[in-house]
Amino acid sequence: MSFTLNINGNEMEVDAAPETPLLWALRDHLGLTGTKFGCGIAQCGACTVHVDGVATRSCQFPVEAAVGSEITTIEGLDPQGGHVLQKVWTEMNVPQCGYCQSGMVMAVASLLKDIPEPTDADIDLYVDNICRCGTYPRVRAAIHRAAELMKA
Amino acid sequence: MKKLGRFLGRLLLAAAILAGLAIWYGTRLPGSPFDGLEAGPALPVETGEYAARVSDCVACHSTEHGPPFAGGLPMGTPLGTIHATNITPDPDYGIGTYTLADFDRAVRRGVAPDGRRLYPAMPYTSYAKLTDEDVAALYDYFMNHVKPVAQPNPQNDIPWPLSIRWPLEFWNLALAPTGTYQPDPAQDGMWNRGAYLVQAGGHCGACHTPRNAIMAEKGYDETAPEFLAGALLDGWYAPSLRGASGNGVGRWTEEELVSFLKRGRNRHAVVFGSMMEAFNNSTAFMTNEDLEAIAHYLKSLPRAPEPEWQYDGSTTAALAGGISADSRGAQVYLQKCSHCHGRDGKGRGEFVPPLAGASSVLAGPADSVVNITLNGAGRVVAGGVPDSYRMPPYRVTLSDRDIAAVATFVRQSWGNTGGPVTSEEVARLRAHTDPFSDAVILLQMR
Repeated sequence: MSFTLNINGNEMEVDAAPETPLLWALRDHLGLTGTKFGCGIAQCGACTVHVDGVATRSCQFPVEAAVGSEITTIEGLDPQGGHVLQKVWTEMNVPQCGYCQSGMVMAVASLLKDIPEPTDADIDLYVDNICRCGTYPRVRAAIHRAAELMKA
Repeated sequence: MKKLGRFLGRLLLAAAILAGLAIWYGTRLPGSPFDGLEAGPALPVETGEYAARVSDCVACHSTEHGPPFAGGLPMGTPLGTIHATNITPDPDYGIGTYTLADFDRAVRRGVAPDGRRLYPAMPYTSYAKLTDEDVAALYDYFMNHVKPVAQPNPQNDIPWPLSIRWPLEFWNLALAPTGTYQPDPAQDGMWNRGAYLVQAGGHCGACHTPRNAIMAEKGYDETAPEFLAGALLDGWYAPSLRGASGNGVGRWTEEELVSFLKRGRNRHAVVFGSMMEAFNNSTAFMTNEDLEAIAHYLKSLPRAPEPEWQYDGSTTAALAGGISADSRGAQVYLQKCSHCHGRDGKGRGEFVPPLAGASSVLAGPADSVVNITLNGAGRVVAGGVPDSYRMPPYRVTLSDRDIAAVATFVRQSWGNTGGPVTSEEVARLRAHTDPFSDAVILLQMR
């Protein structure tokens, strides 16, 4: 079946079974490989994208349900790489291997939109993405730094 | 003295005669319209197979990895554990020596060829309404198309004197319907076909109709207000199927009911719990025409007025940033549930069901919500294809307290009006559904 998706502001056609996970449509059908496959069961967060502004795990999101929503992937966060999170992530050397980081950045972007100055408890609750390298302290510091920069 | 002795003697004699009569009555073979008749020539396999699909014989008369219809499935009952029997045409262990009339007596009257009464775990109370044609088709299927399996029936585990069968005839006399389904001339053919499928072969009431103190369904057709009004069974709550309005299934259209029974899902729900078995083995194989008739009949059942469910978006807004540290239910929801069911509780199209307005979430008993959270969903197979999205079990990762908190949160969010859930309720179901326990509830009737 053919589905028209709104991804990063563009209309895109995907020809897939209705239950195909959005993640597969993004990576395999549309070539948007910035979003990663981690666990496949919505536990790790490597596949996080925004659906209508909400951080969403795309591996457990049937493509049929994405029709009519605005989807933003890591490629669409800021195509020039100028988003405050991208700057802070580079400046503070947050990633190690980097595999989980596009999902991590998308989860944080959604958090900062809803809660501009998150506490550590907010971060624990909303950014429960898993990082195999253990970059959690740097992620936490970067979130607080980004919140400061966005306030200024 | 002599007089008293004679009186007592007569009393004893009268009691013995009465008991003898009762036992005779409770072990005699009732008549069958097939008495003295030979089965007709073999029918095409499809005819009987379809009747067996509609009646869902395989769900109970097989074990998960055992040969079809060879029996052996243990069922917990309040009296003890009984086992579904071998109904393959094996002459020693199955029903190979049954005549058509013997088969009819077992299916529609609950009586074995030796006069032994079957336990009403066998839904002969519903099958009583099957037409002669369908009984003959079933017999043909089991005798000519099912492979015989020489598998002995396990011993039932019910202590004497409860194991005596003849008193069941008096239960039958008082409570079991007799006679085949009689079409209602005031209704059209579609309605009558739906009523027949629901009441007879489909035996929907076995789970969806509440039972009385002696385990009989409180009504076997639409004339009883409690027929299909929702019941608790086996750790699952089978919701009310009645109604053209109201909540839960009452809000579904006929098309949505058909989709649920044919494909296992619609925009309101995905099959789970005991309904998954009924779907995988039975309703998925029914024709669209029959499913449309079932939906048409169900929507005709009147339903008591109830407050209509209205979606309330304030939960969604709260989940985006206003979660207080003491709201354990919302926290668990955000981390364990929202990634699939969404912060808005609306699910993901037809593959991940909504929790907002879901019938099992709105139901009085919270058993289905707690059970699926503990144990997850099984495999739903639609059109030969297993489901891509499946509820995982949280038995290991969430405590009784956390499950109670999140179940309470779900039952009271997005306009849902279910009551709170306690840790004790979760602990009870956790123990009852422990796959490593030898007392796990397996199927109907406990």
